[in-house]
Amino acid sequence: MSGSEKTNEPDTVDRQLAMVIDLNKCLGCQTCTVACKKLWNRDAGTDYAYWNNVETQPGKGYPALWPETGGRSGAGEVKRGEVPDLDSGYGRAWDFNHRAAFESAAKPAGEKAWLQPNEEAHWGANWDEDRGAGHYPEDNHYFYLPRLCNHCTHPACLNACPRHAIYKDKRNGIVLVDQDSCHGYRFCVEACPYKKVYFDPMRQVTTKCLFCLPRIEEGVPMACARQCPGRLRFVGYRDDPEGPIWKLVEKWKVALPLHPEYGLAPNVFYLPPLSPPKLDAAGRPTAEPRIPMYHLESLFGETVGAALETLRSERRKRRRGEPSELMDILIAYDWHKSFALSSEHEVSR
Amino acid sequence: MRKTFDLIAAPAGTEPGDYVPRVYAARNLPATSSATLEVQHGDAGWRVSLGWHCPDPVRDASGNTNLFVDAAALLAPTVADAQWITMGAPDKAVEGALWRADREELLRIRAEGLGTVKRQQPPNHWKAHSDWSEARWSVTFELASWPALDDHNQLAFAIWRGAAADRGGLKAIVPQWIAVEP
Repeated sequence: MSGSEKTNEPDTVDRQLAMVIDLNKCLGCQTCTVACKKLWNRDAGTDYAYWNNVETQPGKGYPALWPETGGRSGAGEVKRGEVPDLDSGYGRAWDFNHRAAFESAAKPAGEKAWLQPNEEAHWGANWDEDRGAGHYPEDNHYFYLPRLCNHCTHPACLNACPRHAIYKDKRNGIVLVDQDSCHGYRFCVEACPYKKVYFDPMRQVTTKCLFCLPRIEEGVPMACARQCPGRLRFVGYRDDPEGPIWKLVEKWKVALPLHPEYGLAPNVFYLPPLSPPKLDAAGRPTAEPRIPMYHLESLFGETVGAALETLRSERRKRRRGEPSELMDILIAYDWHKSFALSSEHEVSR
Repeated sequence: MRKTFDLIAAPAGTEPGDYVPRVYAARNLPATSSATLEVQHGDAGWRVSLGWHCPDPVRDASGNTNLFVDAAALLAPTVADAQWITMGAPDKAVEGALWRADREELLRIRAEGLGTVKRQQPPNHWKAHSDWSEARWSVTFELASWPALDDHNQLAFAIWRGAAADRGGLKAIVPQWIAVEP
């Protein structure tokens, strides 16, 4: 990276780049996943790795059951975590029968070789897509949760590396791996409770989302954010009072970190999902939302209820024809305004 | 010389960072309890052989994310008072050879303190031969020239057992430098 300035003291960064993701607009289309994957992870050792993934909640996530290890204790100490394995954790990248499927395309349906993995598949990223929870029609529900490295203010991965190979870029707080220093010990993979540090078993080094730093240096948003057809991602600096991040996180307090109890102070924030009401036995709407509050609180903390109420309140205002700065930001008529990267660059690409 | 040494777990408490020292503090038994060292010096330089019990060898870690390969390293001080247990110190380097079960070639390693190991291509005349049979690794380092050992006649070694997730500072070591005869 052209001007990367290393610091192993997270509190000394000049500014902190951040992202807000509006879960009420996520379509689960995986365009962000593909945009990231195509750009950064096409090698044999990272074929299983999705720096950005979109998982269905409630669900096992990716890697499976990721929220169960690592993070910090109440005293701020990094807790022991585990390194997920390919078979039961991440899921392997399967080989498909592309040739057989292609060559049988003109055959009758009963003789076609349908596109499928060459091996029996048991688990993989997005395996439980759209499965969700609840019972139709009373309270079935799910929502999409895009996930990437949170570029935490207090990253567990950084503290876990005995070689100081993980650092923050002083200019923007992006968490990076110096792969020349990395010896592949994977303490960082263990310690990250979000499981967003990946190990490349072919090259024997760890890799992770770099917030598309080369694009950021050119004033271009991350691929996942720029390519999102739903315009649900906002990018900017935490300390920019004119930018969308500060307004959504600090002013309106509707954008919340994922698992704040991990104690890492993430810099990716989420607008929690509103949901339609449950139905009673007679099929009439109740006052209770389909997505249980306990589930949202388990993901986004105790303030999720207040954030949802603010969203409902501002939405009602807008429906009445009254002005709402919050709704104007979230609807993202002009996508340029979703990205406030630098006064030096006009975001036009 | 040929001698069997009892090994200790490298002290996790002195590892850099605040994760390994605390999380692995209780890991105070070595995954490999003893190893046999044989050192010969002749016209062809140094020939150092290590042998140790290993019932579950890991020769290749490329097939999964949670595998760690077996490995062993020899180290010698580059100055008389370089400490082994700390992997040297600034301006008091230790250097040596790293064998990994997934590589044919050795790596040259050099460190000036814990967490500072640098891996480099070895001199052309550094070779290794390894064999695993009857639950035992035998690794022979053939080092035609190793000035650090020539100068100081002190040697130490470390063994990583991949199946026990040994890596980095999680390793079995001899507790101190071993005096070797030129």
